[in-house]
Amino acid sequence: MNYFLHIIIMINIYVILTVSSNLLIGMTNLLSLGQAAFYGIGAYIAVLCLMILHLPLIPTILLVMIVTALFSLLLALPSLRLKGDYFVLATLGFQLIVFTVLYNWVSLTRGPYGVSGIPAPKLFGFIEISGVLPFLILSSILALFTIWIFYKLINSPFGRVLKGVREDEISVLSIGRSVTNYKIMVFVISSAFIGIAGFLYASYVTYIDPTSFTLDESIFILSALLIGGLGNIKGPVVGSIFVIVLPELLRFVGMPNSIAANMRQIIYGLALLLLMRYRPQGIAGVYKVK
Amino acid sequence: MDNGVILKIDDLTKSFTRNIVNVRGEAENERFNIIDKLDLEIVKGKITALIGGNGAGKTTLFNIISQFVNADSGNIEYYHGDETTSLLKLQPDKIYRKGIGRLFQDNHIFLDMTVTENMLIADDNRFGEKPFLSLFKSKKNNEIEKNRIEKMEGIFIKLFGENNEFWEKRNDLARSLSYGQQRLLGLARIFMSKYKIVLLDEPTAGVNPKIINKICAIIRKMPQKDGLTVLLIEHNMKVVENVADWCCFMSDGKITAVGSSKDVIGNPDVRKTYLGI
Repeated sequence: MNYFLHIIIMINIYVILTVSSNLLIGMTNLLSLGQAAFYGIGAYIAVLCLMILHLPLIPTILLVMIVTALFSLLLALPSLRLKGDYFVLATLGFQLIVFTVLYNWVSLTRGPYGVSGIPAPKLFGFIEISGVLPFLILSSILALFTIWIFYKLINSPFGRVLKGVREDEISVLSIGRSVTNYKIMVFVISSAFIGIAGFLYASYVTYIDPTSFTLDESIFILSALLIGGLGNIKGPVVGSIFVIVLPELLRFVGMPNSIAANMRQIIYGLALLLLMRYRPQGIAGVYKVK
Repeated sequence: MDNGVILKIDDLTKSFTRNIVNVRGEAENERFNIIDKLDLEIVKGKITALIGGNGAGKTTLFNIISQFVNADSGNIEYYHGDETTSLLKLQPDKIYRKGIGRLFQDNHIFLDMTVTENMLIADDNRFGEKPFLSLFKSKKNNEIEKNRIEKMEGIFIKLFGENNEFWEKRNDLARSLSYGQQRLLGLARIFMSKYKIVLLDEPTAGVNPKIINKICAIIRKMPQKDGLTVLLIEHNMKVVENVADWCCFMSDGKITAVGSSKDVIGNPDVRKTYLGI
């Protein structure tokens, strides 16, 4: 039973990651390779809040969101004036810098040894959230909260301007909306929510190290998003379920672990290839990859 | 300025670099002035047509007015109310906010958005376009969205009559409209905002005579709407004669003839260099 609950918790974490990334990548057409960096920043800030500051649950989540948002603002201000491939390269650079810092600043992050024994978050300072079931409830609440927020954003006049930015930046400028300001807002909002996923991961797994937040992870998040589809809520949710459930299904087939891991990569790659060819908008998305 | 001038362009220059092959057959770069010390005054509440051959600098002039391209030197002063603004110091989105709208030569409408979304995104009431407001002011958001839709319906009726195709196709993607309909949608979108000046870049290019007539009718209505000033680039001389109060002929980055449409089109130099007759 715990095994299935664990799968659902992981899906919830990836739903937060992909739904947040969808606002940036799907709605605004800003391809970022730095999502895992914000995921990692969220996780390490959560460790700071829980292990050192001993903050309760809600202040921890708020602080994680604020700090991740500030880091994203630092990246957004110079890089969002860049266009297309240059922006992708800027986020790639940020991803590599964050990983290198997490890996090498041993006195702060314990580097490759990682941080273990991360304490469970406490609701109102005394209700400890530990174990699979409480985490299932917490992660579901946070995933549903994220879905609600992003659903409202996508279907609002704000979301309409984002669609415009995705479609035609010149036209958006000519009707008086500052494209750069909208991109900055989207980048910051998206990163703040990715921070929540980092908090959930760190406090659920109780151990983190920098290898969980590498470029591979950014590409994995991107793959989940592209497989599920861009531009709505359904796509990222479907993509998250796909990338989390698929390796588990391979286990049931009875494939040895060493082969299953490679098989998983092959299937993701194949799924992406087939989707780009036959269904560029992903399984449940609305926008084709530009 | 109270002599009826809304836009005053002084000594405006913009140069580009072009690749040429010199007499020795070597490639080299050459600077040339696409806009060359241009002076022009645009009269408020009138339709002024800009005519001239390809490469004369007409669209570059529009791009400088909307600040998508920066000028090398000169000045553009914009008189609105009691204020005078130098446009060359503003970002493109600020130009809009000062009341200067634009219809592009290459149909910049949002093809993968619906007709309604294309209209509503251009509304000058921006309520709900900030993320927090879109989350927490649902009731007011809904009310304003309703007002926007009513405004759109009113514009469609005013421009295209009752039971018009745009209202019927309001939930269709703009991509599904014909090119001419997309052009009309772009023009209709201008009416969602309170502009003082609109820059129309070849609104009738590539559309059939029936739609050209509709476009002319819409342009003629524009000055009647709060004294809107229209600056129009057009190659169709019938359209120019039909709608323009003033006409300017542009050649090699300069205005070389100004007057009524009839006078400028009848000017022997214009007939020879531009019309080829």
